[in-house]
Amino acid sequence: MTDMQRIYVHPLPVRIWHWANALGFIALILTGVQIRYVDLIGLMSFRAAVSLHNWVGWVLVGNFFIWLGFYLFTDKIRVYHPELSPVKHFRDSFRQLQYYGYGIFKGDPNPHHLSAYHKFNALQSMAYQIIMLLLVPLQFVTGVLLWDLKRFSGAVEFFGGVRVVDTVHVLLFIFFTAFILVHPYLASLGHTPSAHFKAMITGYEEVDE
Amino acid sequence: MTNSAPWVGSAAVLLAAALMFAGPASAALTDGDNACLGCHGQEGLQKTFGKGESLPLRVDGAAFEGSVHAPLGCAACHSDVELKTHPAAGKSFDSVRAYSVAKAAVCEQCHEDAFKQHEGSVHAKRMREGSALAPTCTGCHGAHAVTPKTAYQTCVGCHSAALAAHQQWLPNAALHHEVVSCAACHAPAALRMVDLRLHDPATKTWAAEKAGEPWFEKLARSVDANGNGLDARELLDLVKRINPAGSAAPKAFRGRIELRSNVEAHRLSDKAAAIRACDVCHREGAEPFRNVVVSVAGPDGRPLRHAAQQEILGAASAVVSLPEFYAIGGTRSPLLDVLFVVALLGGAGFPLGHMAVRWLFRKYRASRE
Repeated sequence: MTDMQRIYVHPLPVRIWHWANALGFIALILTGVQIRYVDLIGLMSFRAAVSLHNWVGWVLVGNFFIWLGFYLFTDKIRVYHPELSPVKHFRDSFRQLQYYGYGIFKGDPNPHHLSAYHKFNALQSMAYQIIMLLLVPLQFVTGVLLWDLKRFSGAVEFFGGVRVVDTVHVLLFIFFTAFILVHPYLASLGHTPSAHFKAMITGYEEVDE
Repeated sequence: MTNSAPWVGSAAVLLAAALMFAGPASAALTDGDNACLGCHGQEGLQKTFGKGESLPLRVDGAAFEGSVHAPLGCAACHSDVELKTHPAAGKSFDSVRAYSVAKAAVCEQCHEDAFKQHEGSVHAKRMREGSALAPTCTGCHGAHAVTPKTAYQTCVGCHSAALAAHQQWLPNAALHHEVVSCAACHAPAALRMVDLRLHDPATKTWAAEKAGEPWFEKLARSVDANGNGLDARELLDLVKRINPAGSAAPKAFRGRIELRSNVEAHRLSDKAAAIRACDVCHREGAEPFRNVVVSVAGPDGRPLRHAAQQEILGAASAVVSLPEFYAIGGTRSPLLDVLFVVALLGGAGFPLGHMAVRWLFRKYRASRE
């Protein structure tokens, strides 16, 4: 086995945000399922699920601003800088897809080389920008509108009506449910199954010398 | 010369008085009703009861003309009035309350079903217990200006703190008060329905038919070709016909939970027995969502309804045909349910499949190391 070097990749605010977000999303998905499928599932009462869903939702809205604030006011925002060369971006994305879909089975090395300012591979870089800057805010906005439809009736009307707002919220809920199942698995594909999990606790990733 | 019957003189006096005091007579009312209003339209006319309470006897003619009872005329409810002896021979009551309670029997003559339901209500129970606050018929419906008010307008007339009380425990209480009839929860034995009412954003009011210009039922019937209630496609068609292409402010159906029969709204329970369990409504196939109608307000304010099929509530096309109606559980979309199951299977299946392939390649990888 090659020697491993430890590099600090996940600062404390990011780790706090990440785990709070993870627990919050699991709670939101479970309470969301309970609210939507009260005739099929009995984890808790409908009212308790609604109440918990609302509280956790607000906590995660606040948590999102911890994430946003940290990246806006530190140079760590460079990890989210997009690859400005489309050719390079799509070439790297294809290589990464090829790795996950084929190379990993053969034992090929991961084409992405992790560093403090380059922690996302091409696929992650694109996915997380879409998720964090579009999908998560959209889920929060639609959730807040549904939280008090009467108070936000003007905004609800602007978005095309409560049915549109709810449909967007549920479609995103479906996406995040799939995400929360796939994400830990992909996180287990480091040099050891637990490497990325440990890194998201300690902040240090282990990379080849 | 023959002697006239004694009441003829009284009637003549009444008519003369009516003519003397009368304002402009209403063309919509009969001459007899206008004659009554000749006196009863005057300010200050009142009756004093045994305990010294007085009851204003003035009737607002315009309000009566606009009431649902106007076509029946004064005599329909006041058949006990004998022209030959009126007003001298009026019955005597101890109090205004006693008069109101006694007058409820007049309502029962036509509204027997509602009366029977009311007998089992918390209002009737309180009345039997001697409560002076429990409403009689006129307490909720008024006496001479009976119009199709919403239950909410009626109830908050007395229960003005209802919203604040509901906000203590009910999420989105103000919205619930707006879209759920009070009786839908407070008459728990009654059957409910979804009433999809057409709302006009231009006027911010419910769309209404004008007198003499019926269109809604005709349009709904023409769209509902087989007469089995509107399905999702037919509802979409109806919405398109109501809002021709290019409508600046398209009208939209907004859902309300109402009772299927207003008669049952009279069997109001004690609040301890009212429905508090959210999942009575917020579950797929909940009773209120099994009966669906579309409606507009008629010229007199009463809804004109046409049946619709339950499936329109969760249809994919509802995003277009019912953009302003959604209720957790009740309007759940089967298409989104399928997508959720696909997401669950895909989300769980991808890691399992990927792991399985990695396991199959384990020896190959080992041979390369």
